[in-house]
Amino acid sequence: MVKIFLDGGPVEVVEGTTVFKAAQRAGIAIPHFCYHPAFVPEGSCRLCLVEIEGSPKLELSCSMVVREGMKVSTQSPAVREARRAVLEFILAEHPLDCPICDKAGECKLQDYYQDYGLTESVFREFKEKREKKVRIGDQLILDRERCVLCTRCVRFLAEITKTHELGLFERGIHSEIGGYENEPVRNGYSGNLVDLCPVGAITDTEFRFKTRSWFLTKGESICPLCSRGCNIFIDYHPGFPRVAGSAKVYRIRPRTNEAVNGPWICDHGRYGYVDLQRKNRCEKLIWNKGPGSTTELSWDKALIVIGEKIKALRENGKTGRISLILTTWLTNEELFLIKKIFKDGLGVRNVSFADPAPGTEDGFLLRADRTPNRRGAREMGFEVKPVDLDVLARDSDILFIFGSSLAGGSNDGAWKAALEKVSVKILVTAHLNELASAADFVLPASSVAEKSGTLTNADGRIQRIAAIARACGDIRPEVQILLDLAREIHLDDAYFGALTGPEEVHRELAKDIPFFGARP
Amino acid sequence: MLKAFGYFVELLRGIWITTRHFNVNMWFHTLNLFGIKTKRKGAVTIQYPEQKKDLASRHRSLHRLMKRDDGKPRCVACLLCVTVCPSECIVIEAAEDPDPEIQKYPSTFVIDLNRCCFCGFCVEACPEDALRMDTAKIDLAQTSHDALIFGLDKLLK
Repeated sequence: MVKIFLDGGPVEVVEGTTVFKAAQRAGIAIPHFCYHPAFVPEGSCRLCLVEIEGSPKLELSCSMVVREGMKVSTQSPAVREARRAVLEFILAEHPLDCPICDKAGECKLQDYYQDYGLTESVFREFKEKREKKVRIGDQLILDRERCVLCTRCVRFLAEITKTHELGLFERGIHSEIGGYENEPVRNGYSGNLVDLCPVGAITDTEFRFKTRSWFLTKGESICPLCSRGCNIFIDYHPGFPRVAGSAKVYRIRPRTNEAVNGPWICDHGRYGYVDLQRKNRCEKLIWNKGPGSTTELSWDKALIVIGEKIKALRENGKTGRISLILTTWLTNEELFLIKKIFKDGLGVRNVSFADPAPGTEDGFLLRADRTPNRRGAREMGFEVKPVDLDVLARDSDILFIFGSSLAGGSNDGAWKAALEKVSVKILVTAHLNELASAADFVLPASSVAEKSGTLTNADGRIQRIAAIARACGDIRPEVQILLDLAREIHLDDAYFGALTGPEEVHRELAKDIPFFGARP
Repeated sequence: MLKAFGYFVELLRGIWITTRHFNVNMWFHTLNLFGIKTKRKGAVTIQYPEQKKDLASRHRSLHRLMKRDDGKPRCVACLLCVTVCPSECIVIEAAEDPDPEIQKYPSTFVIDLNRCCFCGFCVEACPEDALRMDTAKIDLAQTSHDALIFGLDKLLK
């Protein structure tokens, strides 16, 4: 251990630590553009300068390694003056188009100018004109005027993805970030460049000009688009009155968790998630009475109708003729309730899983299994097997389908014929597709952003998702739907009556199955 | 009996005040007619809405959006007016302009005058001087709420 003095206060750090990291541990923020904990220090932005006693000039804290007894000053007048001068040079070339810059509000340059600059520029020359809109990737747009040449993007592509699409070209005032012609940044992790960029030089078309960052509320969640379970921030707009319509998810950002995803997420999750939240949402409870006759039902009415049908089967002792098609998109709590109600309570044995087809693994974060909770379903005691359509058609009177993954895929069309033979089909889904027209009851369920619960990733890590966006229309979370159904058919009223939400369900789950006992 | 007498006194007082105003104003109007005492004017009733007084130059009236020389809206959809608006009555959707110097333009710009309190903060927040409240239009009453929701077409007029 080495003892150093930061702004007078003693700090003990491991030998070989940089001054920057030591300051970070001591809770002292040092401004920086080019430094990023995931990369080797570059030292090109010159903003992290600190004064070290005995050193003739200011030193870069990001690459300076601590020495025993080092006396560092991060806020001395000389340091502040140096930082102000560095900012002035950056701003001599930086356009002040903050009003139309998507980074405004979360821009490092704005923050540092507020802290250190606040001076008039002494430059009388015109600012250099550069290209404002260069497409460098499928979703990425580079604005060379805004770029401060920190080369974070270049180093991300060189050190993390090792694809080397971007580089620093030319010299001096002509320096610019660029790539080869017809070779866009396309590596499955390109979205991270937008988060990495400390200013608004790299923006993505999915978020570009859609809203301003200060309108967004962030919520912590877990990406449900593969079994890695990356930690994410969901940025959403609460909706009317400042935008037309209801609450809307605008973007997904990685939430650093070194044990799971580090500071990155893949493009599949980042751009897929926003679509998941917005596209083809099922918002109304629909009863397909017969060909061409559909009505909207209230939840109370629908639960009574469905409850009657289950009760009729139970009176004849034929609850074995209830079938379930589940999906590993369901949270641990939902799967647990399904197990309690259908498997344990009603004795349902025909349980199968319909999931989206697995994709390809990319060796970094994205896993082949594109669902979030297969491990959780297994640990719960479910056998995760695909749907056997023949058995389904033969042995079912009532079929509950969770999720809409049954349609599409390899068994295209075959599922329609099988479903025809089942008399009552109840679909609980957040998204509408062909399956909705084949089902008798379509119950709108909440999407991942609208419900709380836990998901188990492939490594057995149980992670919490929270209800962030407010659901619109008739949408209800699955946990509530299942609990209401259990109460409707009077299945163990004492047990289900005590459960009110995902929290209580999780407590029961942790008591019941030792795997879920350990809290995340 | 005493109460009825009180009413009668008040009645006479009212008649007296009205008559005094009439006589004073008539007196000065008559004098002014002959060019005497021109500094003191008699009171005049303005026949609104047929007759209108001039508004002060800083008066905040109906909003308008300014145009560039080529007729496009000057607004760059920075949403600062939306941010500052205390009654949250502005909704803007931005779109990508093909001109890289403009970049951003409003594809929809709606001011809901039902909610607007005419504070003029939006005008002050605008970095492009794209929004002004100087149309001198103050008779905005409508018979339906929808007619008071002003979009790009009405604001750019």
